[in-house]
This record gives sequence, C-alpha cells and structure tokens, in this order.
Amino acid sequence: MGLDRRKKKRETEVPTDSLSDVAFLLIIFFILTTSIQRLAGFKTELPSGEKTQAKTQQTEKTPTVALNGGAITLDDKGITMDELRERLAGLKLETKSNNERVILLDAEGSINYQQYFEVMACISSVGGVIGILTEEEGK
Amino acid sequence: MKRRKKQRTPITVPTASMGDIAFLLTIFFMVCSNFAKENGILFTPPKAMDVATVADSSLSVAMDVDGVIYLNGQAFSGADELESSLEATLKDKTGDDRNVLFKCDEMIEKRAFSPVLDAIVKAGGVVIAIGEKKPVK
Repeated sequence: MGLDRRKKKRETEVPTDSLSDVAFLLIIFFILTTSIQRLAGFKTELPSGEKTQAKTQQTEKTPTVALNGGAITLDDKGITMDELRERLAGLKLETKSNNERVILLDAEGSINYQQYFEVMACISSVGGVIGILTEEEGK
Repeated sequence: MKRRKKQRTPITVPTASMGDIAFLLTIFFMVCSNFAKENGILFTPPKAMDVATVADSSLSVAMDVDGVIYLNGQAFSGADELESSLEATLKDKTGDDRNVLFKCDEMIEKRAFSPVLDAIVKAGGVVIAIGEKKPVK
C-alpha cells in the first residue's frame, strides 16, 4: 500500500495571553500590601547598667530627672516638659564629653511608657546620655 | 483613470513584551517590600515631640498591651531569655547592625519594660525607641 500520508506537524504553543494579567494582579497585590512607612523615634544612649559606673557618676553633680506620678522634677524642682526641654538645651550637652552628658532618669515602677518615652526623647534630642536609676532589690 | 485602492494595514498594539514588563515590576516590588514582622502584635506606640525619622533595622523587640515580649515577631517568656537570644544574634554584628528597634505599648509600666531595655543593652544592642510624632498644640 502506498500510504504516503505525511504526518501533520502540530504547532505547539504555550498560551501566554493571560500572563500579563497574572503579573499585573501580582503588582496590584504588592502595591496594596507594601507599606511605605517611615519609622519615627530616637537613638538612645544607655549605659550598660553596671552599678559601679552608676555610682561614680552619681557622685558628680549630675542632673536628675524624676518622674513621680504625673509630675516631672529636675533636681527636685517641679517642671513642665517644655521647661525641661529648655533647661536641658541650656546645658549644651552636645559639646561635652560622654561622662558629662549623663542625665539620670529616676522613675517609679508604676510610670507608664508614654511618660517615660517623652522624657527619654527630650533627653536624647539635646544629646544627653540616659542613666536609668533602678531600685536595688530588698530596699 | 483608475485610482489605486489604498491598502489598509491592520493596526495592532504590540503586547508581546507586556508580560515581561509586568514581571519586572513584580520582581521590583518583591525585592523592595519589607513585610511587617509584628503583624498581629497589638500595641499603641507612645507619642513625643522630640522624635525624628530613624533607619529601619533587622532586629525589632516589641512589647504588646499584655506585656508579652517579642523579638522579630517571636514571643519570649522573659527578659533573660530575650537577652541570651539577642546576644547570640548580635555576636558578629558591628556598627548600625547592632541597632534594635524597641516598640512598646504606651501603657506598659516601667517595672515591666525596664528589664527589657536592660536586656537589649546588656546583649550589646543599641536601643532605638520607636514612637510617633506628637502634634504641636
């Protein structure tokens, strides 16, 4: 039999029509989920918490900010947040050495982070190094 | 005189490279996206006037409304556990890589957050306190 039938070659093709649709859907997903959010805050300079260091610093005339309830005191004198900012700016801490830049921060255990954060931000903004005063156990 | 009919050329928008462009954009977004590590951690950030824009960091410690401590979204039972984990992470890091973002709920008391701050500092991290800008009255 003289079968001379040639096999027809089928053209194979990957359907790519909807590829761009899929890709654009992915783009929309990423655009919606990406948050272009800038972080706000401040870099704190906290000493390592060694007790000896804290004691030597305390012997010198180191400004102490205390938080008791809702009140702020600077060296035992009642003060508002704006006044504290002015007083600390007046100390020109940025021009001083690390040891002279220490501002002690004393707060009750019940003080919330909001109040603490405001004072820490204030001290950091004027170039101060925050020395956290902690109550020793058993006292 | 016979006028020649103008041959109309079919107008088609070339869309062959559309998929390539779209995928390049997708890759761009995938590379640039920074997925939030603290999704699901409930906390209200504190507000202060003296905050500025700070650079992001790969390390983030958070304390939620219930006082649970998280390091990059992973919960820790206490400050001691956090300290040892942070210490191991920060061992080979220098400079700005030692920055640790500290996010804490505004109502957490000092007796709860102070040990966490101590733990970060003792582990060798530099605390970057995160909050929001307080509007000027």
